[in-house]
Amino acid sequence: MKFKNILILVSILFFSFGTSWADTFKIGFNVPLTGFAAADGESALNGAKLAVKQANSAGGINGKQIELVVYDDQASPKEAVPIANRLIEKDGVKVAVSGSYSGSTRAAAGIFQDAGIPYISAYAIHPDITRAGNYVFRTSFMGEVQGRAGALLIGQTMQRKRVVVITLKNDFGKSLAAGFKAEASNFGIKIVNEYEYSIGDRQFGPIVAKVRADKPDAIYASGYFFTAGPLVSQLRSGGVTVPVIGQEGYDGEQFIKIAGAFAEGVIITTSLDRDSNSPIARSFISEYEKFSGNKVDMVSASTHTALKVVVAALRKAGTNNPDAIRKAITQTQLSAATGHISFNKLGEVRKNVEVQIVRDGDWHYHSTIRDQTLLAPPES
Amino acid sequence: MLFLELFLQGLLQGSIYALVAVGLTLVYGLLRILHVAHAGLYTLGGYFGVLVFNSSGSLMLGGIVAMFGVGILGIIIYRLCYEPILDQPPFVPLIASIGLFIAMEELYRILFGSYGVSYTNPPLQQMLPLAGLYLREGEWVTILVSLVLIGGLAWLSSRTRLGLAWRATVTDPQMAESFGIDPIRVRYFNFFIGSALAGMAGMIVGILNNLVEPTMGSVPSYKALAIIVLGGLGSVRGTLVAALALGVVESYGTIYLGNVLNRDAIAFVFLILVLMVRPQGMFRGV
Repeated sequence: MKFKNILILVSILFFSFGTSWADTFKIGFNVPLTGFAAADGESALNGAKLAVKQANSAGGINGKQIELVVYDDQASPKEAVPIANRLIEKDGVKVAVSGSYSGSTRAAAGIFQDAGIPYISAYAIHPDITRAGNYVFRTSFMGEVQGRAGALLIGQTMQRKRVVVITLKNDFGKSLAAGFKAEASNFGIKIVNEYEYSIGDRQFGPIVAKVRADKPDAIYASGYFFTAGPLVSQLRSGGVTVPVIGQEGYDGEQFIKIAGAFAEGVIITTSLDRDSNSPIARSFISEYEKFSGNKVDMVSASTHTALKVVVAALRKAGTNNPDAIRKAITQTQLSAATGHISFNKLGEVRKNVEVQIVRDGDWHYHSTIRDQTLLAPPES
Repeated sequence: MLFLELFLQGLLQGSIYALVAVGLTLVYGLLRILHVAHAGLYTLGGYFGVLVFNSSGSLMLGGIVAMFGVGILGIIIYRLCYEPILDQPPFVPLIASIGLFIAMEELYRILFGSYGVSYTNPPLQQMLPLAGLYLREGEWVTILVSLVLIGGLAWLSSRTRLGLAWRATVTDPQMAESFGIDPIRVRYFNFFIGSALAGMAGMIVGILNNLVEPTMGSVPSYKALAIIVLGGLGSVRGTLVAALALGVVESYGTIYLGNVLNRDAIAFVFLILVLMVRPQGMFRGV
C-alpha cells in the first residue's frame, strides 16, 4: 500500500516536472476531424501542422518550441464550448486558433474573449465571430465581403446582368448571398430568382429544371466542394451552360475531382492565387503538397496563414502574456500565402480578393479584386 | 413542361428513397427493430460501387458487388448485432443500431478518407432527352433499376414459395414455424434483400452525385424512418407509395417553398400533415 502511494507521488512529481521541463509555447487548435466537416478539418490540421513545423525548424519562439494542442470539435458548437474551456483551464494555452466552421468558432469565441485569450478564426466567416470582442480576430474574408466581390466580378468584370442566385442555407451561404444582393444593383445586376438548399442536399434536379427555364446570364452559387461539385455537374449535364460563380468553399482539388470535365470554366472568389509569383505563396504551395500529399486548398492556406500570424505575434511579444500577444496581433503586418495580412479595429483582415478559374483540370489565375472601399470589412 | 419535369424529378428522388426505405420496413415488419444502421449499408453500397468501378471499369461488376457484398454484410449485422439482443425491449436494439451507424460512418472515414471518393471516369453523366424530358442517363437508369428491383421484390414475395414463407413468418412466426418454416433463414433472407436494395441505392446515388462520402447516409437515416412511418410501419406497399409521394412533394417544395422551408423540413411537415389525417399512416398491414 505504502509502495503504491510512493509510486503515485513519484509519477505526479514526474509528470508535473515533465510539463515544466518541456517549456513550450502552446497554441490551442479546435478543428473538425470527425463528422460531416472532417474533410476541411484534415486540410486545416495539415495547414496548421505545417506552419508549426516550419516555425519550430526556424528556431521556434526565442529558442523554445511551439506545441499545437489539437481537439476535434466536429464543427459543432456543443463540442466547441467544452473544448475552449479545456484549452484555457487544463492546457493553459495563452492563444488559440479555430480551424473550424462558423457554428463552433462563434461559440468558442465568446469563451476565449471572456478569458482574455486571443483567438483567431482561420476560415469561419460568420460576421458575429469577431464581434465577440477585442481578443478575437479573423484572417479570412467575412461572407459579406466576399459576396460583394462576387457582385463586382459578375456585374463589372464579366458584364453579366441576369443572375440566378443559388444559396446554401447556412451562415456561410446566407452571408455570401447578403453581401452579393446588397451590391448587385450597384453593378447593374438583376436577380432573376433565388433558390436555397440545405447542406445535406446532393440532388439538385428540381433546381436545375427551374434554372433552365429562368434562362439567366450567370449563376452565383454558394456551397462547399461536396455540394458545389454535384450542383455544377448537374447544372452542366442538365443543359445549363452559363458561367457559374462560386466562392472559397469550392476551392480545392476535390471540387474538380467531383465535377470532372464539368468543372471547366467555373470561376470563384477566394484567398489563394495558384499562379501567384509571390515566393511566399509559391513555397507554401510546394511545401504543403510535400507535407500532406494533397494539393493546396483555401482551408489549408487560410489555416497556415492564421498560425503564421500567431507565431509572428508570439515572437514579437516574446512572452506568454495574453495581453502582449493580443497587442502584437493587432499590429500584424505580414506576408502570407493568402496575401498581405493586417487587421482593422474589429479584428477583421484587410486584403485583396483573388479570382480563380478552372482550366485544364486545375485552378488558375483569373483576376484580382483590389477595390478596398468595396472590400472594406465593418469596423464595429 | 416545368411542372412535369419537377414531377419526374420527384419520382426519381422518390424511387431512391423507396429502395432505401423498403429494407427498413422489411426489418421492422419482421423483427420490430428500427434499423438505423441500414443507412450505413447504403453508404457502403456507394463505396463498393465506386471502388470496384474505378479499379475494374465495369459498372455491372460494381453493381453486383454493391448488392451482394452489402446484402451479406446485412446478414452479418443481424447475426452479430441484433440476434443477441432480440429479447430486449425495443429501445436496446435501436440504441445498438444508432451506435453501429455512427461507428460505420467513422470507419468509412478512416478506411476511405475524409474527402470522399469520386468516379475517376464518371459513367452515365450525359443528357439524354426523351420525349422532351431532360434527364441524365444515370437518372433514366435509376428509374429503370428501381422498377426492376421493386418489381422483382413484388414477384418474389407474392409468386414464390420463398415469398409465401416470408410473409407467413411476418404474420405469425410461431404458426409459420410449426409448418416447417425456419424463421432464422427467413430473417437472413430478409436482411439480405433489404440490405442489397440499399446497397444498390447507395451505388446509384454515388453515380448521380459522383461523390461517395462517409456521411452520405446521414440524411437517408432519418428520412427513411419518416417514410416508413408515413407508409404505416411494416407495410411494403405503403412504404413505396410514401417514398414516391415524398419525393414529389420535396421536388415541388424545393422550388415553391424552398425559401421558407428546406427540403428535410418539407418531408417532416408532410409527415405531420398526413399523420394528422391518418394516424395509422397511409397504409396498414403487409
